[in-house]
Amino acid sequence: MSLDADLKNRLDTFVKSHEVFLFMKGTRTFPQCGFSASVVEILDEYLPDGYETFNVLADQGVREGIKEYSDWPTIPQLYIKGEFVGGRDIVAQMHESGELTGLLGQGPVEVGPPGITITDAAAGAFKDAQQDEEFKDLRLTVTGQFQYGLSFGPAHDGDIVEQAGGLTVRMDRGTARRAQGMTIDFVSGKDGTGFKIDNPNEPPKVKQLGPAELKQKLDDGAVTHLYDVRTPAERGMAVIEPSVLLDEDAAAALGALDKKTPIAFYCHSGARSQAAAQHFLQQGFSEVYNLAGGIDAWSQIVDDSVPRY
Amino acid sequence: MSIEQQVKDSIEQAMDATSVDVAQVSGGHFEIRVVSTAFEGKSLLQKQRLVLSAIAHLMKGEQAPVHAVDKLETIIP
Repeated sequence: MSLDADLKNRLDTFVKSHEVFLFMKGTRTFPQCGFSASVVEILDEYLPDGYETFNVLADQGVREGIKEYSDWPTIPQLYIKGEFVGGRDIVAQMHESGELTGLLGQGPVEVGPPGITITDAAAGAFKDAQQDEEFKDLRLTVTGQFQYGLSFGPAHDGDIVEQAGGLTVRMDRGTARRAQGMTIDFVSGKDGTGFKIDNPNEPPKVKQLGPAELKQKLDDGAVTHLYDVRTPAERGMAVIEPSVLLDEDAAAALGALDKKTPIAFYCHSGARSQAAAQHFLQQGFSEVYNLAGGIDAWSQIVDDSVPRY
Repeated sequence: MSIEQQVKDSIEQAMDATSVDVAQVSGGHFEIRVVSTAFEGKSLLQKQRLVLSAIAHLMKGEQAPVHAVDKLETIIP
């Protein structure tokens, strides 16, 4: 099997388009495989803003073609200045040895204490728990996928240490980078009792809009692309105008839009459209809305001329 | 023949190695350690290519017996 000329040209263009280009499974904020995640984790240390990734799971041609192109059997694959560097194992070793610093022309970005806020309520809860603990320092973990860990534990080499809310908080470098400006609160209410974390570094999430809020955004032109993820039969019964049925053609056209385009989804009650919205968020769209309650809520609140079914 | 043995044999046939150790750490995932003078004067990438090209036929396609090499050590004796 030899590489198709068009595909080869495409890959040539990719690897030359940015100084640092990573072919991976998933995206920087949603890696879909552990190896890809660990290369992202390393690159983030050096280049918090400046590198480009391509999700091979979204393009079968590239997924197979890049293996041939690089003469390398697995994903992820890292290119620096148009040259193939290697996969996860090589990148990790070059990171350990310091070679990556030479190749990138810069070392890991210095990370200082992140400026965490622990509210009085949270500090009180921690101090209650602390009494029974062998170790008195709080360890905070924020993974690359923004999952959080809070526990009492021992010191580790290379810890970044910060005082907050009268507590000593320890964390690794990656956590410190992802926790800049984070707030830890403790809330109790009808939705339960527990720690509540507000972290401005978290990647975008699907935003929920009520029917009136969506109507407003459509009227203002703040949302210009509304997709109906229901079946054609359901669409025959009731529809929000203007919207597009999300069939294969529409999905392809949507995938080609600028990733900053605000996009919204609806279905009958809001669950199917949430799944679709999540999917396109993972494709890299940054402003993604879901109509909470679906067309059923829309009929009741915004437009009673839309039949309920 | 086990997949480990196939991987080991393929590497030994392709290059002059002092020792080849292969371990399957989970389904389709392997760790490989090769000691060989053939690695002398080569970059990390060239060393890994040398080993991976020897087992390329075991890594091709959706049903490939070798899905990923989690760890590949290339050692000069």
